Amino acid sequence: MRRVLIKLWAFFYRDVLSDVSYRFSFLLSVGGMLFLVTGLSFFSRIVNPATPGLDGMEPFPWMLIGLGFQFYFSTALYSFAEKVRGEQMMGTLEAMLVSPTPTSLVIFSSTAYDFTWGAFRLIVYLSAAVFVYGVKLHVVSPLALFLGIALTLLSSAGIGLISASFILYFKRGDPVNLFLSGGTFFFGNVFIPSKVLPPAAQWISAWFPMAWSMKVVRGALLQGASLQDVAGELGRLAVLTLVLVPLGLWGSRIAIRRAKREGTLIQY
Amino acid sequence: MEYAIEGFQLEKFFVKKRSLRELATKPFGKAERIEALRGIDLHVKRGEIFGLLGPNGAGKTTLVKILSCLVLPDRGRAVVGGQDVRHENKVKPLIGLVNSDERSFYWRLSGRDNLRFFARLYDVPGPRIAARIKELLERVDLVEAADRRFSDYSSGMKQRLAVARALLHDPPILLMDEPTRSLDPASSLALRAFIRDELKGRDGKTILLATHNLREAEVLCDRLAILVKGTVRQVGSVAEVRRWGIDERRFRLEVSNWHDAISGPFHAVSVERINGLKRVIVELEGDGRLNDVLSAVMVAGGIVHACDRIEPDLEEAFARLLREERAKDDA
Repeated sequence: MRRVLIKLWAFFYRDVLSDVSYRFSFLLSVGGMLFLVTGLSFFSRIVNPATPGLDGMEPFPWMLIGLGFQFYFSTALYSFAEKVRGEQMMGTLEAMLVSPTPTSLVIFSSTAYDFTWGAFRLIVYLSAAVFVYGVKLHVVSPLALFLGIALTLLSSAGIGLISASFILYFKRGDPVNLFLSGGTFFFGNVFIPSKVLPPAAQWISAWFPMAWSMKVVRGALLQGASLQDVAGELGRLAVLTLVLVPLGLWGSRIAIRRAKREGTLIQY
Repeated sequence: MEYAIEGFQLEKFFVKKRSLRELATKPFGKAERIEALRGIDLHVKRGEIFGLLGPNGAGKTTLVKILSCLVLPDRGRAVVGGQDVRHENKVKPLIGLVNSDERSFYWRLSGRDNLRFFARLYDVPGPRIAARIKELLERVDLVEAADRRFSDYSSGMKQRLAVARALLHDPPILLMDEPTRSLDPASSLALRAFIRDELKGRDGKTILLATHNLREAEVLCDRLAILVKGTVRQVGSVAEVRRWGIDERRFRLEVSNWHDAISGPFHAVSVERINGLKRVIVELEGDGRLNDVLSAVMVAGGIVHACDRIEPDLEEAFARLLREERAKDDA
């Protein structure tokens, strides 16, 4: 475990140094967060609070929490594949894979900074909402919130690993994320309430894991939902996690082995 | 004799990607196979510098990648430090890889920060990292540039940093794939000296050096193998490989009064005038001996001022081998 933490820290510190070295970009991304919150607060004023699907919540916190968490959860979906491809293109993947660090740990650890940055961004959104725009959070069950976030991240990481496997093997073209990136925004109850969608789309949305996650985090943060209130969604996320994480690990192992056999592991 | 690296009948082929046209016209056609290695046997002794010499596409890099656990062989077995390369967690702590790719570092980070990152990946114990990096930076003469961004390094500095990285965990075996390819002559000389004097001489590392630079192979390697089209054509010491396939014997004479009538079981390959003398290169024929040449010159009134045997060089041996390959292909 200590060895894993050391590697995680090494990757995290490397990305901090790299990110901070692009000073303008770094400042821009911090400024962008505040701009998004401000923009959203004005945009939400044109949304009717009685819109079906908001379930009595104010449009601004509904949207902000939807977008904020979607950004965070998407880190688990996309960053594994992005990091693998980035390292392939930079030529650093070979140097890492020759080291005694297992390939799976290299892929996993390389996202340490992205997850931390995603969490920081989420905290900035929520802090701005609470302290600047007076949004009132109503948390009754921190455990429900924690489980909702953890299970969504884990299940998304499972998909992210499958996605990284496609990149490892095919280099470009990742059908998993192609489907999810478009689908999540539309069907995931992130920015568009599912209840305003046509009935067929509502049915699809009901099967979308992001929609379950959104119900849990919005419920736990804004509506004072208890563990029992969101038990159904948490159960479904837990089942998904149990399926997707082993599938992702298995997929990445197969992809690495095949890429090694074909000699394309470090090609891009 | 204990070997540091061994290969037994190693084979590797790659499937050639089919073009869109091929996919459209022959959707069920079989993809073409490219044989990168064909039954390679290799035995590298502990503590020696072993060269893999061959033209581009000979299979040198594929072999290095197999030995560094980046590519799996299709057939045969490769053993590094007594461990099969299929058990990569046992092999990787024993090897360091240096290649010619300048891109294998983080360009926005300093040399020291790059080494610090890789030290953690190479399982260098935390408290030892700073001291180890300092020691290596001193050895590769990068102390002053240690805190400069990698992007500001010259090619020679980048390559020296790559060597330092490969040494972080002090592996007994180094795999070097054309380490001087992008370097200028002065930097190449310095790196070669470092490999010979420091890595082999002081540290006693076993080094597998893949190169197509004949001079480099000649200067550095204790033994070498010539690879052509995925097969080992010749293995031996540099002197053995140089003489391989040579049955002619050539001598260089400096003679006064040389003329065309001088004859015997030899013939003159070239004659040139130097400082009032003639420098003649003669090649013995049949059972001819050097004595026959000297006698013929003296009988004809000539005086031999100097005489030495012409050693075939590696370049000549290599060119001869490639000529033979081409002749085989043509046949």
